[in-house]
Parts: sequence; structure tokens; C-alpha cells
Amino acid sequence: MNATLALIRDTFREAFARRIFWGFFGCCTALLLFLIFILRVDVVQGALATISIFGNSLPSTNVENLVQQTQSVIAMVLYFAGMALSVFASAGLVSSVFEPGRIELLLSKPVSRTHLLLGRYAGNVLVVAANILYLVVGSWVIFGIKTGVWGLGFLISSLCTIFVFSVLLAVIVLVGVIWDSAAVAIMVTFAIMILTPILAQKNTLERLLSSEWSRDVVRVLYYTLPKTSDISIIIRHLILNQPVESWMPVWSTGLFGIAVLGLGLWRFNKRSF
Amino acid sequence: MASGFAINNKSGFAIETEGLTRVFRNRWANTELRAVDNVSLQVPEGCTFGLLGANGAGKTTFVKMLLSSVHPTSGTARIFGRHAQDASSRRSVGYLPENHRFPTYMTGWGMLDFYGALSGMDSASRKRKIPEMLTTVGLDERAWHTRLGKYSKGMLQRVGLGQAMLHAPRLLVLDEPSDGVDPVGRKQIRDVLQALEQQGVTIFLNSHLLAEVELFCHDVAIIQKGKLSLSGSVKDLTSSGGYRVTACEVPEALISELATRSKAHSVEHGLLELMFSTREQANSAVDSLRANQCEIESLNAIRSTLEEVFIRTVSEKPEGVTDK
Repeated sequence: MNATLALIRDTFREAFARRIFWGFFGCCTALLLFLIFILRVDVVQGALATISIFGNSLPSTNVENLVQQTQSVIAMVLYFAGMALSVFASAGLVSSVFEPGRIELLLSKPVSRTHLLLGRYAGNVLVVAANILYLVVGSWVIFGIKTGVWGLGFLISSLCTIFVFSVLLAVIVLVGVIWDSAAVAIMVTFAIMILTPILAQKNTLERLLSSEWSRDVVRVLYYTLPKTSDISIIIRHLILNQPVESWMPVWSTGLFGIAVLGLGLWRFNKRSF
Repeated sequence: MASGFAINNKSGFAIETEGLTRVFRNRWANTELRAVDNVSLQVPEGCTFGLLGANGAGKTTFVKMLLSSVHPTSGTARIFGRHAQDASSRRSVGYLPENHRFPTYMTGWGMLDFYGALSGMDSASRKRKIPEMLTTVGLDERAWHTRLGKYSKGMLQRVGLGQAMLHAPRLLVLDEPSDGVDPVGRKQIRDVLQALEQQGVTIFLNSHLLAEVELFCHDVAIIQKGKLSLSGSVKDLTSSGGYRVTACEVPEALISELATRSKAHSVEHGLLELMFSTREQANSAVDSLRANQCEIESLNAIRSTLEEVFIRTVSEKPEGVTDK
């Protein structure tokens, strides 16, 4: 437990030193301040009278819907832009561990390689999770106080975002262990992030493709790779209190993450430094 | 410095390797390099041991295999009787790598705290021992909470040594420990290591500074092109320079006779100086001189320096070494 905490604390310390954590924190704070600034709610005798965004008044009956729509926009910005930033920032945190002169000392300690890598992985997930939760919980509280809308969907969506990030981080870990390169890790992860929304249009693609084997390739890639695009739709449904049609994108993405992280751990255990 | 981690070691060796080999293969170029080739070595507990070798001889790869950052191609390595691949074998080991790259965002205190935690120390012990250790390695108190990025090479070496010793290991593996440290600092480090040696800590030193190894280590091994070329006690290896006998009032006939038995001789101002390769030859000469009532002026072993032994050894091509 001592070693695990030390590894997590060390990841935070490095994130602080590289200004990654504070960069995220600053962006999240700016977004929260922006929300406070644009969202003006007039309360008359304990009831909502009007709500205005950028000075435009809206009828109070639409408040719940408006809050949910705004939250889903924030969640999507966080999901796509925040995710890209997180991947960009985390690649360096993973590959720095494999630097010659640093890794030998870590490996000389009575901690298994699996423990070392998982400790670093957990630390990295927590660095990003702390900022995502700060932004989501912060904006949830702002919306709640100002409008009285306290839907839990927005909070649950943050867990989905953290979950998808942890899967993409497994890819960063695997690439980092194999090539020691933050740049390659970013490229591979971004390639997956770009490819998966295209694969999400599986049905359309299958209609457009002429050969059966190319349709098979699309199917295999779709079911194998993480379904970031499909999960973004689930997040939207959660926030808007709409039923989720299928949880398959979540569990299959989870399986992908476990397999890739397992592969990364196996390679790390086999590798000589 | 008693270790907090008792390991039952029946072998009596701190380090034990058997046929340890590491081959680096380049599949694209279809070449291979035997960085460490069938090295069998035993380092008894409580010993101060120096591993010597030219650059690229395989010393660092050997040390990395002991500490499991490099996997052996074949052979085994044991630390206090436990397989080196077993993480628990490293509980009693402190290590200072040669080209270390300590995270620059850490402070001296923070670094000891981090590596101490990884070594299994609890928070209270770390808090208690860190200031003691930073003082022991001679790091100025003002630097304790300064980031490592602002440390000089010598300061990094000191704090590195501190992290290696913090958890009271029974085996210290030090790769060039006094690299970049000024002469006063070297003396301090040597004093610290000598104190540890008196407490029974095994010290495995990998150094290019032969005078330092000669001064500090009891046993050494020389590794050349991955193979173990020579090993033994420093005393034995450096005393192999032969024996010198000086005598006076030696009759001409006896001088001629002894000259044929010695490897060199000279006569100056009536004093005969004879050089012999072995102790037996020297003793036999003394017997002959005394039988002829000659006065023995002196009889002493000629010691080589470790550097001479090293140069002599690495100049010879070891058997079975093939260039790849």
C-alpha cells in the first residue's frame, strides 16, 4: 500500500511539475467562471421567474431542458477536447518512467514490475479524473444552485469520460512500453480516436463497401477497438434522462482496455532495460 | 546498520551467479553481442567486493541482471539465496546506478521519501531516518528541500547514495559512487562505506577508480568482454609481483649459482639483490645464503598495484572470447 501511494503521489508531483495538472485546473476553472458569468437566474419569491444566457431570457418551463442541453454540451466538450488534451498530457507522464537511469533504480526496488506500472497508471488516471470531477461537479453545483436542477446524469457522464480515458491510457502505456516514445503513443491514440467515430458509422460503411472482406474488416475493427463515439451518445442519453439502448459499447471498450493494459504489463515484465 | 528485512540465507553468499549470460541480438543486422558470458561469481556476505573491467566489458549489464532490470539469456543470479527475478530478493538491496537520472521535480527529501516507500519503509520510519541519512551523506541542510534540478553532480551522488542506504540494506550495489564528487567528498563517502562494512553490510562496488577499489575492497573480479577473467582477494592479486632478497658478503661462486635460479639479479656496493617469482624460490635462496654465512639484509614480497594487475589482465585476450 505504501508503494502504491508513493507511485500515485509521484505521478501527481510530476504532473504538478510539468504544469499538466495546473494547466487542466486553470482551463476547468476558466470554464466554471464562464458558466457563472453567462448564467443569470432571477428568482422571485422562491420560484424561478426567468433564466438568461448571454442576456437572452427564456421561459422558466424550459429550464430543466436547457440545463440538460448545456450540461451535455459541456460533457461533449470535455469528452472530445478534454480527452485529446488528457492524452497529449499523459503520454509524457508514462514514457518518462522508462527513461534510462530512472527505470533501473525503480526496478531495483522490491516492487514487482506489474505493481510499478499499475501504480503509475492509476496515478495518471487520478490526475485526469481529479480535473474532470472538478469541472463536472463544479458546473453541476453551479447549475443546481442557480436553477434548482440537480439531475444525476451529468455526474454519471463524468465517470464514463474517466472510463474512456483510462482505456486510451492503456493504449499509451502499451505503446510507451514498446517504443519509449511519447510522440508515437500520442499518434497511435489519436489515430484510434479519429478512426472510431468513422467505424461508428458501421452500417453506412457496410452499404458503401463492395467486397465482403472489406466489410469484415470494418466489423472486426468496430467490435475490437474502443467505441468512443458510441459512448458519447450514451453520455448524452444519460444527461438527457433518455434510455440507453445498449451497453455493449461500454463493456466491449472495457474489454479492449483490459486486453491492451494486460499486453502492456506482459511486455513490461518481459522487457530488459 | 542492521537490516529491517531478515532473509534466511543458507548459502552464506550475498550474491551468487551461475553461468550468467546475456546475449543482445539484433535481428535486422543478424548480429549478436555476448555482453555477459557464462559468469559464475560468489560474493560472501559482509564482503567488500569490487567489479572491474574496461568500458563495455559487461559490468553494468551484470549488475542490471542482479537487480533484474535486464533478464538473463541463460544462467541464474541469486541474492541472499533468493532468485534475483523475485522482487522480494531486492528488499535487502540498496542500489546507486551509474548514469542515474533522478526526477528533477523531486527535492532531496522527497526523493528519499519516495524511494524509501518503494523499499518498504513506513511513513514514520522515513520521517525519522531521512534527516539522519541526508546528514550522513553530507548534504547541506539548506539543500534538503531544494529541487534536484538545482543540485550539482556531487550533491546528486550524495543524495543517490542516501536513497540506497536509507532502508538499511544488507547489500549495497554501487556503480561509480564517487563519480563527480570532490576529493573531500570521496573521503566522506569512503568513511560512510567503511562504517557500513564494519556493521556487516556487503558492498559491491563497480568503479573505474582502481586506487579507490584497492583501498576499499577486500575482493575483486575483473570482467573482460563479458567473461570473468580474474577474481580473488586484493591482497593475493597484488602480491603476485614476486619476492626480493638482498644480502651482503656473498661469495662470487654463490652469486653465479643464485643468479641462475633468480629471474633477475644485481650487485651494487657489495649488496646482492635477487628477484624470485615464488616464495619457495626465495626461501631456497635464503637457505643457500645462510648456509654460506651470508648476511640477509632484507626479504620482502613485491606488491603490484591493482592498476598493474588490471592492465596486465585486460591486455591478455581471454580464452574463448570471440568477436561478433
